[in-house]
Amino acid sequence: MEKIEITLTINDKLREVSVAPNDTLLEVLREKFDLTGSKESCGEGVCGSCTIQMDGKPVRSCLTLALEADGCRIKTVEGLANGDQLSDLQESFINHGAVQCGFCTPGMLISADALLQNNPKPDEKTVRKTLAGNICRCTGYAKIVDAVCHTGNPDNQCPDCKTGQ
Amino acid sequence: MRLPRFDYFGPDTLDAALELLATHKEEAKILAGGTDLLVRMKKGLLNPKVLISLKALNGLSYIKKDDEGIKIGARTPLADIISSDLIQIQATALSQACEKIGAVTLQHYRGTIGGNILQDNRCHHYNQSKFHRSGRQACHKEGGKICYARDESDRCNSTCQSDGATALMALGAKIILASAGHERTVDLENFYTTDGIMPFAMEPHELLKEIFIPFQGGQSAYHRLAFRSAIDYPIVCAGVLLTPSLTQKDEIEGARIVVGAMGRSPLFLAGESAGLKGKKFTDFAAFQTAADAAMNSAATFAVHNVGGTLEYRRAMVSPMVFRALKEAAQAADR
Ligand SMILES: Cc1cc2nc3c(=O)[nH]c(=O)nc-3n(C[C@H](O)[C@H](O)[C@H](O)COP(=O)(O)OP(=O)(O)OC[C@H]3O[C@@H](n4cnc5c(N)ncnc54)[C@H](O)[C@@H]3O)c2cc1C
Ligand code: SF4
Ligand code: FES
Ligand code: FES
Repeated sequence: MEKIEITLTINDKLREVSVAPNDTLLEVLREKFDLTGSKESCGEGVCGSCTIQMDGKPVRSCLTLALEADGCRIKTVEGLANGDQLSDLQESFINHGAVQCGFCTPGMLISADALLQNNPKPDEKTVRKTLAGNICRCTGYAKIVDAVCHTGNPDNQCPDCKTGQ
Repeated sequence: MRLPRFDYFGPDTLDAALELLATHKEEAKILAGGTDLLVRMKKGLLNPKVLISLKALNGLSYIKKDDEGIKIGARTPLADIISSDLIQIQATALSQACEKIGAVTLQHYRGTIGGNILQDNRCHHYNQSKFHRSGRQACHKEGGKICYARDESDRCNSTCQSDGATALMALGAKIILASAGHERTVDLENFYTTDGIMPFAMEPHELLKEIFIPFQGGQSAYHRLAFRSAIDYPIVCAGVLLTPSLTQKDEIEGARIVVGAMGRSPLFLAGESAGLKGKKFTDFAAFQTAADAAMNSAATFAVHNVGGTLEYRRAMVSPMVFRALKEAAQAADR
C-alpha cells in the first residue's frame, strides 16, 4: 500500500501531504495537521462531530478518504476565527450558551457556517433542517438553533441572549 | 475506527474504470460517495482489495431529459437531484425520497443516486461492530448457516432500506449497467435476487451507469416513516405513481404502488396497483382498500431486523401507502 501525495487547501493555506489509501480525511486533519477541532465520535456517519467543509459543502470527514479530497478546499472549525477574533457565529454560540461539553460544537459551527454562506438570514425551520445531521447530547438544541438564527438576524428580539449587553 | 487496507484507483475515463473492474472482479468495489461502503468496511463486513473511485468521472454526473424521459448519471449527488426542478415536477416521488435520505451534511453532497440504489441490504443482527458479531455464530450473510431474523430460514432476509430505489421503482425506472465492451438495460423491478446476501442481479464486473425514468404522465408521491426525521433509515416507506386516462381525465388509467423497507427489495404490488384502474382520483375509499391490501401483501415479506416491532412496521404500511396515493391523486386533480 503506497503513500500518495495530495494537495489540500486547508483554511486558505495550500498544504501538501502524503497519505495512505485508507486514511480518512478526518485522520489526516487531526494527525498530520494537528487540527484537532474536528472530532471522531461515532466514526460511521451518524453523529456529525467530524463535519468539515469540502469546497464549501458540509460533509462527514470520517467517511471521506483523504485521497478523495485531493485538490479540494477544506474548511475546519479552526478556520472560522480570524486570529484571536472569533466569528459572529462563534460569538453568538457563546452568548446564547450554546456550548456545554463542546464535543458537537465544531461540527455544528461548520454546518451552520456553510448554511450562512449561502443563506445569510435563515429562518428557524431551515436552521433545524440543516443541523439535523449533527447530534448534540447536552444542550437540547434550542440554544444552538437560537445562536444560528440570531447570527443571521442580529436585530431580532432574543430574550435569552447576552448580545449587546 | 480505522479502515482496512486496500489499493485505490481513480480512473479518469469510464473505459478505464470498466477495464479495472474486469481485471479485479470480486476483489474490487466501486467507491462513489462512500457513505455506505466505508461504514461497512470499517465494521469489517467487507474487505475489498481494490477501490475504484468515480471521483474523476464527472461524465457520470448529470440530469438530462429527452422526448422519452429523464436520464440521471449514476454518480449524480443527491443534492443535485433535490435541487432539480425537472425532477421535482416530473418525478416528484424521487425528489421527495432523496430529500429524506439521512441528513444534509451526511449524504446530500457526497452520497450519489447510484450508491443509494446499490447500498447493501441491512439487518440489525449483521450491521454491527466486529466485537458485537464475535459473540455469536455467523449468520447466512456472514457465511454461516443460520438466520437470527427468521427462524429456520434457508436464506438471508436482510432489508433493502433504499429510499431512492423505492421511489424509482414506483416511477417505473430502468437502470443501465455497463461492463467492458457491453451495456444492458434492466427494469429496476427485475433487478433484485431473492437472497439478501447479494440482493442485486448484477455481476461483479458491472458498473451502474445511468438511471432512466420514462415519461408516463401523471403524478407520483413518496412517504416514509423513520424514528427520527433525519439520520435514520426508513422502517417503512411507500412510493406511488398514478396516471390519468386519456379520455376521462378524472379517472385513473394506471397505478404503481411500491412498498419499501419491508423486504429484500422494494416491493411492486401489481394486484393492488391494478385494482385502482378506472377509479376516480377523488375515490379515497378505493385508496384505503388498496392501502390495506398492500399492507397484507407486504407484511408477509418483512422480518424483525431494522428496528421497530414487526407489528408496528406492518401496521404502518397502510397509512404510508394511503398518504402517498392521496397526495399523488390531489396533485393530479389540480
Ligand atoms: C447514518 C446513515 C444514515 C443513512 N440513512 C439513509 C437513508 O435514510 N436512506 C437511504 O436510502 N440511505 C441511507 N444511508 C445510506 C447511504 O448513505 C445512502 O444510500 C447513499 O445514497 C449512498 O450513496 P454513496 O454514493 O455514498 O454510496 P457508496 O457508499 O459509495 O456505494 C454504495 C454501494 O454501491 C456500490 N456502487 C456505488 N456506485 C456504483 C456504481 N455506479 N456502479 C457500481 N457499484 C456502485 C459501491 O461499491 C457500494 O457497494 C445512510 C447512511 C448512513 C451512514
Ligand atoms: S436477515 Fe438473517 S441472515 Fe440476513 S443478515 Fe439478518 S440475521 Fe443474517
Ligand atoms: S464521527 Fe463522523 S459522523 Fe460521527
Ligand atoms: S454540547 Fe455536548 S454534545 Fe453538544
